[in-house]
Amino acid sequence: MAEASYVLGMADLLVAHAPAKLVTLGLGSCIGLVVFDTTAKVAGMAHIMLPDSRGAIGNEKVGKFADTAVPALIDEMLKKGAVKSHIKAKIAGGAQMFALPGASADFLTVGARNVKETTARLARLGIALVASDTGGNKGRTVEFSTSDWKLKIKTLGKGITEI
Amino acid sequence: MIDLGSFSSLQLDAIKEVGNIGTGNAATALSKLLSCMINMDVPKVELVSIYELAEHYGDPGREVAAVFVRSLGGFGCSLIFVQNEEDAQLMVDLLLKQQFGDYLPDNLPQEMRDSALTEVGNIILSSFLNAINLLIGTQHQISVPAVAHDMLSSILDVVASIFGQMGEMALMINTQLRVEGAGLANISGSIILVPDPDALEMLLRKLKVM
Repeated sequence: MAEASYVLGMADLLVAHAPAKLVTLGLGSCIGLVVFDTTAKVAGMAHIMLPDSRGAIGNEKVGKFADTAVPALIDEMLKKGAVKSHIKAKIAGGAQMFALPGASADFLTVGARNVKETTARLARLGIALVASDTGGNKGRTVEFSTSDWKLKIKTLGKGITEI
Repeated sequence: MIDLGSFSSLQLDAIKEVGNIGTGNAATALSKLLSCMINMDVPKVELVSIYELAEHYGDPGREVAAVFVRSLGGFGCSLIFVQNEEDAQLMVDLLLKQQFGDYLPDNLPQEMRDSALTEVGNIILSSFLNAINLLIGTQHQISVPAVAHDMLSSILDVVASIFGQMGEMALMINTQLRVEGAGLANISGSIILVPDPDALEMLLRKLKVM
């Protein structure tokens, strides 16, 4: 069976049966969260923008915030046949694109807070975070394939790494 | 907090005029700096879904150079000057040729090129903001500039995180500058002004359209 390819935009969340490829382009401060169960052969991805949904206007995409995206993604995995204790996670993203000495602006450090909240939410659900490539000041394009369960990370000027 | 969906056309026109005044000042400053003619487009006031910011400006994976500054004065906003990477490098060449003459050594260190790029961006953005502050009578103070070379969508994450917490739309003033002159390649760049959501109401009051 041919590998189905899905490109996720901002705040998107998707779970698919193998064989599948999940892609998200140009993550800056956003997080690309991948979860997978190699036995049930399911994988999911979320493109998380912000750490927490407090103060949100409501009725927004669940994939937008770390605190809502992580449980929603795990739920969707279970619905598609994954077993919770088998689910593993990988994350990439959470860069700080611009550093301004002297200007304290919350939104500039949102990447680090995204990483922290996503990690904490995974831990709270008992999901093992097996690999991560986060922080720094470069954007990342990520691609996860169920053929080898690897997350390929492309960074401008630095080439491709795999975790 | 202002509902971004409910602006009247009078309010949008007033914000557009702010963009016009800023762009005019920025174009003049850039023209003096590069000793070139600068053309400017009529600025647009854009309400864009934060989920489609990068697509709105083209290919999300496009390689761009961006200079970013924060207004630290009375009108809270962020300003970004975005160019295609090739355009940015052509602009740097133009500036450095003023210093080194027409035959640029091709081994100039990257830091020197980046520093020139940051300076051009800084002059454009601070002239843009200064004109607006003069117009609405707010104090002008600006952060040091920061520069990044990256994918368009990674750069625009900054805008998404400013507006994301309060909703799903972002408001931006967007304008294009083009360097013109005989024998010059076409160099263009976009100034994007992103007002802090809570500064919008103040802006509209100062413009007497609220």
